[in-house]
Amino acid sequence: MDTTWLTKAWANPQALSANLWLIIALPAFGALVCGVFGRALGRTYVNLVACASVLASFCLSVFAFQAVAADPSVIVTPAANGVPMRFALSGDWGVWFQAGSFSAHLGLWVDHLSATMLMVVTGVGFLIHLYSTAYMEHDAGYWRFFAYLNLFMASMLTLVLADNLVLLFVGWEGVGLCSYLLIGFWYTDAANAWAGRKAFIANRVGDCAFLLAMMLLVLTVTAFAKAPGTEPPAVFFAQRRAVWTHAATSEPGPLNFKVLEEFAQYMPANLAMGSRGMLGTDIPIGPLAGHTYGHTLTLVFLLMLLGAAGKSAQLPLYVWLPDAMAGPTPVSALIHAATMVTAGVYLLCRMAPLLVMSPAAMATVAVVGALTALYAALIAFAQDDLKKVLAYSTISQLGYMFLGVGVGFFWGAILHLVTHACFKGCLFLSAGSVMHGNDNEVNIKKLGGLRKEMPWTTACFGIATLAITGIIPLSGFFSKDDILHGALHARLVGYEWVGPTVFAIGSLGALCTAFYMSRAYLLAFTGERSKDAKVPHAHESGWVIVAPLVILAALSIALISHGFPGLLKMPNGEPETLMEAFLKPVFGVADRLAIEAHSLLPEAERSPWPGFGIALLLAWAGGGAAWYLYKRVFPARAGKPAPEVFAAVRAFTVHKFYVDELYDAVLVRPIKLLSIGLFRVVDEGLIDTVLVGGTAWVTARIGSLLRYLQTGDVQAYAAMMAVGLLAGVGYAIFEALAK
Amino acid sequence: MQISPVDTQNYLLLAATLFCTGMLGVLVRRNALVVFMSIELMLNAANLTFLAAARERLDATGHLAALFVIAVAAAEAAIGLAIVIAVFRNRGTVNVEDIRTMKY
Repeated sequence: MDTTWLTKAWANPQALSANLWLIIALPAFGALVCGVFGRALGRTYVNLVACASVLASFCLSVFAFQAVAADPSVIVTPAANGVPMRFALSGDWGVWFQAGSFSAHLGLWVDHLSATMLMVVTGVGFLIHLYSTAYMEHDAGYWRFFAYLNLFMASMLTLVLADNLVLLFVGWEGVGLCSYLLIGFWYTDAANAWAGRKAFIANRVGDCAFLLAMMLLVLTVTAFAKAPGTEPPAVFFAQRRAVWTHAATSEPGPLNFKVLEEFAQYMPANLAMGSRGMLGTDIPIGPLAGHTYGHTLTLVFLLMLLGAAGKSAQLPLYVWLPDAMAGPTPVSALIHAATMVTAGVYLLCRMAPLLVMSPAAMATVAVVGALTALYAALIAFAQDDLKKVLAYSTISQLGYMFLGVGVGFFWGAILHLVTHACFKGCLFLSAGSVMHGNDNEVNIKKLGGLRKEMPWTTACFGIATLAITGIIPLSGFFSKDDILHGALHARLVGYEWVGPTVFAIGSLGALCTAFYMSRAYLLAFTGERSKDAKVPHAHESGWVIVAPLVILAALSIALISHGFPGLLKMPNGEPETLMEAFLKPVFGVADRLAIEAHSLLPEAERSPWPGFGIALLLAWAGGGAAWYLYKRVFPARAGKPAPEVFAAVRAFTVHKFYVDELYDAVLVRPIKLLSIGLFRVVDEGLIDTVLVGGTAWVTARIGSLLRYLQTGDVQAYAAMMAVGLLAGVGYAIFEALAK
Repeated sequence: MQISPVDTQNYLLLAATLFCTGMLGVLVRRNALVVFMSIELMLNAANLTFLAAARERLDATGHLAALFVIAVAAAEAAIGLAIVIAVFRNRGTVNVEDIRTMKY
């Protein structure tokens, strides 16, 4: 069979590079059309424009992905700035802005990482657009909805395609804005509007930290680029450094990812390049002078982690995501499960070459991720709202991705990101389908017995549940357990306890995941129809809703290929996973630098299968426990009150461990009091009364005094002018005489 | 017989005298028409200064300025006289002391 068409790019890579902007511009144009002319166009055309623009974007993304994935050796786009580059498509539309030696370019690029993200964002995005046309068919605000959704796509694609942190931040803020707009989509209900505000403010805390991290990074990189050579003058090094310095301070600017990666090359001791390693060295010039590069990078990444935690709903900024379920269900699927919330993971993976310089920051990322994974899973135990269960499960799964990033297992995190986008998208869309067929009922205790009435939805939800639980022939099993396996065998230098600890916490989280997901499935879909149900008989949704479910369910099975260990062989004969091989052009550098920097040492490759056995056992145990409790124990006890201990524990869990109340008492209320104080004293007292009112009062008083000068007598005015003239002339004569 | 040229200083002195006379008229006369005439006197004093300077420097810029002043004076006289007539029709007087309604 002729397979050459697979190993060469379908479209001319240069032409693709020059037209990368179209991937962003198409949905942005769709947003403009839907937002401005949507009401006049009518429902049919709005649906058409919104879906078609995303579909076109998806097609372009397929070509870009294929060009990147096809054959790494064929296309090497020469970097206009002279910085040697990994294989990627890259387009640069000149300087965006400049300030002193800092500059940022309007540059986009597609490497293996952003290509993967592109497929997830546009692929899942298109399915959800399609789904929304049916889901929103009775909503009067359909044009507003699709305008926001398209705008979200444009922002998310900007985030993914940007080749520097500044442009990435534009997308980062854009998706935050769209998230806010869509959470509060049904704004006539005040609770929804408040949920939107909560999301926006929680994100703002993170964004502030992200901005600080960027500023610190600019100072660090610029200081290194401008510092007089502290290195032994190896010729190769000097040449390379000259090119690099030019790139960092004038051409693409210090926040370009290629420049940052090059910067990372200088940090660890590297004999090939004749460097002694800069991590322990003091920054010689600039505002950060006197701090070592290593410590500065740790601070940068702790701040960046806070930023990522805001966007990706990790401890301590996760509180907004459960409330974000106030938005329409397709939004929950697209923004709050599949794409936007993974931006934090993407950011940290993007910074991988620098991140591995700081074992302390990595340990923090891993611990935050593990704790979030377990914590959110525990809260999900007692939630009765189907969407809330899924929201906490999203937080928990994002925790696994952070865990993976923290132990340097980047490809595992990205694989889990991809599989999670499929199975969690499927779960959310199934929940939407359930709501569609049950008059918007989300309480799993008031559903029940949907298996017979909604067979397709039940099947898809079931498959996705098995995938997230980690049952063996489904993608979630390998993506999650690859991460846990990686955690167990990662050795963070100075933080050796982290790997086993997060493995233990993560495995416990996996057990909980199996429990709460099985509970949700068993209560909502099996058994008899609840007596409290809103409608006596649910109806299965139309094919426009079912088709995306089926595709996503199929994908959550098919993606197992990318996590199955040992499908490929590395040159040295060791087994390699498909995803690992695919992302090697991106993360290979980080892996090498981690060893050079002596921050993360891989242990000898061990067979993952024993660990996988344990994981499978845990998944069955969790699911079995749920089945036993909700199918045997509780039905048997129906009518009898629960023991008091259980009731107390349940109340504690139902109230989400009282974290919202804690934040309210510790943060929200004091800030509110402070604001009221500031409002009364500073704003109303000082500014309104003293400054604004005072200015008017003084002006009026002076005016009422001075108006008596207006006698109405022309000759009096003329006399004043004459006096003024005389004074002027007198002064001139006096000056002339004095000389 | 040759007429000895007049010194520029004399022109300036004459202009100053005219100007002060005009200013005095503006300040002390009550009849609006006379006040107007005094203003014309002041303008012409300024003209004389311009012309003296032009003669001293042997260039035409001063003449230009004087022509402008004459044009402006003509316009001002037209508007001013129209106002005076309007006021007279309304109030039956052109005494500036009696026309002082525009005050606090």
